[in-house]
Amino acid sequence: MKINKLILSFISAVAILLSTSVVSFAKVVGDKIVLGAAISLTGKYSSNGVHTQNGYNMAVDRINSMGGVKVGGKTYKFEIIYYDDESNPKRAAQLAERLISQDGVEFMLGPYSSGLTKAIAPVTEKYGVPMVEANGASRSLFTKGYKYLFAVLAPANLYLDVAIRTAVELNGGKGVRIAQAFEQDAFSQDVRLGILDAAKETGSEIIIDDKLPKELNDMAATLVKVKQMKPDVLVVSGHTKGALTAIRQIAEMKVDVPMLAMTHCDAAKLSKQHGKNSQYALCASQWHKTLTYKDNFFKDGMTYAADFQKEFGYDPPYQSAESSAALLVFKDAFERANSFDQKKVRDALAATNMQTFYGNIKFAPGGQNVDKPMVLFQVMCDGAGKCENKVVAPLKWASAKLIHPIPKWSER
Amino acid sequence: MNKNVLLYAAILVFGLAAPFVFPAFKVQLSILCVLIVLATTWNIQGGEMGYNTFGNILFYGLGMYLCASVQVGMFFPLAEWTESGGEKTFVHTPSQFFQGMAAGLVVAAVVPTIVAGLIGYAILGLRGHYFAICTLGLGVAAGEISGGIEIIGAGQGFTTPPFPNVGGLEARGEFFYFLSFGALVLTFIAVRAIYSTRFRLILNAIRDNEDKAEAMGIETMKYKIIGWMVSAFFCGLAGGIMGGLVGYIDSTDVAFDGREMGVFMVLMAILGGKGTLWGPVIGATVFHIFKEGFWTFFLGWQYVALGILIVVIVIYFPEGIMGWLREKYPERFGEVVDEADRKAQVELK
Repeated sequence: MKINKLILSFISAVAILLSTSVVSFAKVVGDKIVLGAAISLTGKYSSNGVHTQNGYNMAVDRINSMGGVKVGGKTYKFEIIYYDDESNPKRAAQLAERLISQDGVEFMLGPYSSGLTKAIAPVTEKYGVPMVEANGASRSLFTKGYKYLFAVLAPANLYLDVAIRTAVELNGGKGVRIAQAFEQDAFSQDVRLGILDAAKETGSEIIIDDKLPKELNDMAATLVKVKQMKPDVLVVSGHTKGALTAIRQIAEMKVDVPMLAMTHCDAAKLSKQHGKNSQYALCASQWHKTLTYKDNFFKDGMTYAADFQKEFGYDPPYQSAESSAALLVFKDAFERANSFDQKKVRDALAATNMQTFYGNIKFAPGGQNVDKPMVLFQVMCDGAGKCENKVVAPLKWASAKLIHPIPKWSER
Repeated sequence: MNKNVLLYAAILVFGLAAPFVFPAFKVQLSILCVLIVLATTWNIQGGEMGYNTFGNILFYGLGMYLCASVQVGMFFPLAEWTESGGEKTFVHTPSQFFQGMAAGLVVAAVVPTIVAGLIGYAILGLRGHYFAICTLGLGVAAGEISGGIEIIGAGQGFTTPPFPNVGGLEARGEFFYFLSFGALVLTFIAVRAIYSTRFRLILNAIRDNEDKAEAMGIETMKYKIIGWMVSAFFCGLAGGIMGGLVGYIDSTDVAFDGREMGVFMVLMAILGGKGTLWGPVIGATVFHIFKEGFWTFFLGWQYVALGILIVVIVIYFPEGIMGWLREKYPERFGEVVDEADRKAQVELK
């Protein structure tokens, strides 16, 4: 049985390979604070993954060029180790493990999407690695009792809450008839739960409640129902692809509905991609450049947007803005902790109370940001067909008046 | 025989020592064990029986959901656990966690076995491409259906119970490593035992000519179903372990992940050499090492690199690594080569 020899030598080869693989210990080396992040560079979240990464990079460059982080009288610079999680939770959990146990990372930034954050949180929690995440909004992330998870964004169930309440208000305080379609993923399903809550409180009725598949590129079935049942509000959420699909098919099928509320319009560059067809769509957003928050690094939303545009060639969606904000939070916490001890940094994070260009940040015991409301904007086009997102709610920041109801296709 | 004992002892020692010698690689090694289990069991159908199935992912995903559901459901109301935004936080005590896991793994192995028997009875009459396409549908359907069942979290996904706070930081990794290594050893021993009986010959007969096998009086249907049930048992077990290891179950991306795991198990078996005992083991190991390497060194291009690897495998190693070795060094596989006869044949061509 000479074959045994072959197999034996194969095994020893594997053993040698494993033992020679370099295990580098990054954490805080020299004048660098190394953060780890698993980002969706490929797969279904790749476009939002890149928005996230651009946001992180933008903030790292800015903080480093403006003097870095001062801890214990010494100045440190941020550096991020990225891996590609392929939009897959299994991969994300594995990469978090790898970042912590192989690369020796002691502080983490979040991935894109609630599902991936859900997969990573148990790992960071186990190792006591503080994670500031900017793109996991699912409410269930904040009820698991995680101590090392901090989210700079408002939880997902609040995304379209405002839209329903506005519709009810415009209806003279009476309940409205809601049609909704949500993708089968952690985030969108949470948005759905928020709508259910809002409907219950306002006495609204849900007449269509559809689920959209993850490989989303057709929702004609839902729209046919909408055409027949004529709801007052149509709510759609399915990340970037959901927003694009909805607008494309609503325009194709000439579906008339008084109010159309969605998520991820700015990430989808809706007004650019679909122009006039996307007019009047209402979008939930964590941030808009016209908001008047300020900080020392990016000044304000308009400046951030201009700088981002210069660096990456497109208008920053809120995914980038909140990702940049995550770095500002980390810097602030390191300096207040004045230490790289994970527990101390964690406690400093928990005590965060600051304003950034992205909004106020203050964490509830569950880790979610409770100090920043969602905004609602509407896509508005001028006669020449140039479309822009204008904030319409809450009224404090509104730069335009909500157009309601949406004109019928036959009258456009 | 002596050498055999030596070989297995070496592997066992390597397996038992690995998590302590390479502590940083525990998760990768655990996943490797699961991959080997999947490739080895796929080989029962794809390699020995000649039935290319994409349906084994069904058992894997089923096992994953079952194990987690049992582990939670034994002690807490499952619906409240999976409900998003549920205000209550449930914490397993260590003994609850381990008892739940043990019971969960038993269910995760047994139920898919029964399901395999039932589905097998219905569809194992199909042959060739028809069978492959049909099984492909099974995994896709299961993913969509499970994504709509509220009690297991539907589209929200299912967070499996966190590992209890015992034995320090390394305990979780070591626990899941030994669990998956145990599953690997169990699978290998079982499959090896099965292959040493007449059962393997029957499977081979089905692969080589099913009609002839039937004409010889072999109840092919019975053996095909049994073969699939064996695969399902170990796939379910592997799924249950993987669910706990990942910590989060998503219907299409983690459990019924036909695009990745479902295809990988086929690739690994083919890479190593299907229809051999060791082929899937070697194939899975090589595949895993390449994959991890690509992920580190070709960030963003890893799938392109993986695609090229697959093309190279198909063109240069159509029989897999074991098949290639066998052709190159037949004497090492116990085949006697008559050099004069071989030369004569070469010259004839």
